[in-house]
Amino acid sequence: MIVETRALSKTYGTGQAAVPALRGIQISIAAGEFVAVMGPSGCGKSTLLHLIGGLDRPDSGEVLIAGQAIAGLPDDDLARLRRRTIGFVFQFYNLLPVLSALENAALPMILDGMRPAAARERAGEWLQRVGLTDQLQRRPSQLSGGQQQRVAIARAMAADPALVLADEPTGNLDSQSAEAIATLLRQTAGDWGRAVLMVTHDPRIAAYADRIIFLKDGTVVDDTRLAAVPLAV
Amino acid sequence: MSVRNALLGLLTRRPCHGYELHAAFEALAGGRELWEVKPAQVYTTLTRLAEGGLIVPHETTQDGGPERLVYAITAAGRAELAHWLITPVAAQHQRDEFFLKLMLSVATDAAEPRRVIAAQRASLYRDLHATTMRRALIDPARTLAQIMLLDRTLMHIEADIRWLDMLEARIDDIRRQPLPEPSPRPRGRPPRT
Repeated sequence: MIVETRALSKTYGTGQAAVPALRGIQISIAAGEFVAVMGPSGCGKSTLLHLIGGLDRPDSGEVLIAGQAIAGLPDDDLARLRRRTIGFVFQFYNLLPVLSALENAALPMILDGMRPAAARERAGEWLQRVGLTDQLQRRPSQLSGGQQQRVAIARAMAADPALVLADEPTGNLDSQSAEAIATLLRQTAGDWGRAVLMVTHDPRIAAYADRIIFLKDGTVVDDTRLAAVPLAV
Repeated sequence: MSVRNALLGLLTRRPCHGYELHAAFEALAGGRELWEVKPAQVYTTLTRLAEGGLIVPHETTQDGGPERLVYAITAAGRAELAHWLITPVAAQHQRDEFFLKLMLSVATDAAEPRRVIAAQRASLYRDLHATTMRRALIDPARTLAQIMLLDRTLMHIEADIRWLDMLEARIDDIRRQPLPEPSPRPRGRPPRT
């Protein structure tokens, strides 16, 4: 399993103002699996993603990434795990505006100590794979939303992560670009063998996944495999 | 009626054999998995259309093979087709078996309404996934009409999913209300008119 959570709980605020965001979440995700997380706003979708990505710490319970519990890791090790094992894709792309597509995609590897030339080469390969061969030198402002999200996916993939976490990756895109990004995330899992966990509120985008985890009030209310029924062709 | 009239429509292009029409109909309707028709139904329909004077059969021989019937549309057939084409299709959204299940789960303790909703939602998402994957395999440059047909399906499934989300959000309010009852009818013999 690439991801395992055990009795994962998180509460924001204290005393009277305490709001439980997650209550005993128990899920696991295998390599090559594309999983969507859905549920009404405030159900804990983003909190779950943040805890799995080590961006926040649970009150109780455990997150295991590739079999390793991340709770006990010192900050340095956790930071390395985030850089090397987990790729992040966000709703607003989180690209640096002053850097080109190529530099954006190469940056995390350079920060992780890779030689810049090697990092740029690997970044360029991934930008090609996501269909941006002709846009390597463009800055984010010169790219469409869909293209910026492709850069973000290339940046996530260039570090060769086992897990890709995507938080509303199509939330800022028109429907056609959204479907293209969903197709790319499906490829990330299916062709490139990564575990992909995507938070979305859009049924059409969730339908690209192999499995949907439904959250409500911080608990898993349903866990549905979508491809259980063989496709009639 | 649809199959019958679609056969008329296909015959306006050129005269055809029954088996050609069978294949052409299924392709037009979106594939056998969407709308399967038995060959026997096509042949009996063609016989009836011929009896009604809407098409006429001709015997042909192909490369010395057995004689086969080729059908051509008549003027009466064209008129009937034109009338059918401009007659709107009644939308089917009155009966809903799922709604019956949900209301009976609310009224009885035979199943938890949220489970009834969850089961339906899971099934709709599987349909949405299968349709999305099928759509992804189609080349829009060649078969745009098929894509549009699948888009219709996707939109309907998505609407059903959103409706389930609404129902789930309001299910406690629905539970507090009585089950719809028949309106009271006067007892005894109806008055003489």
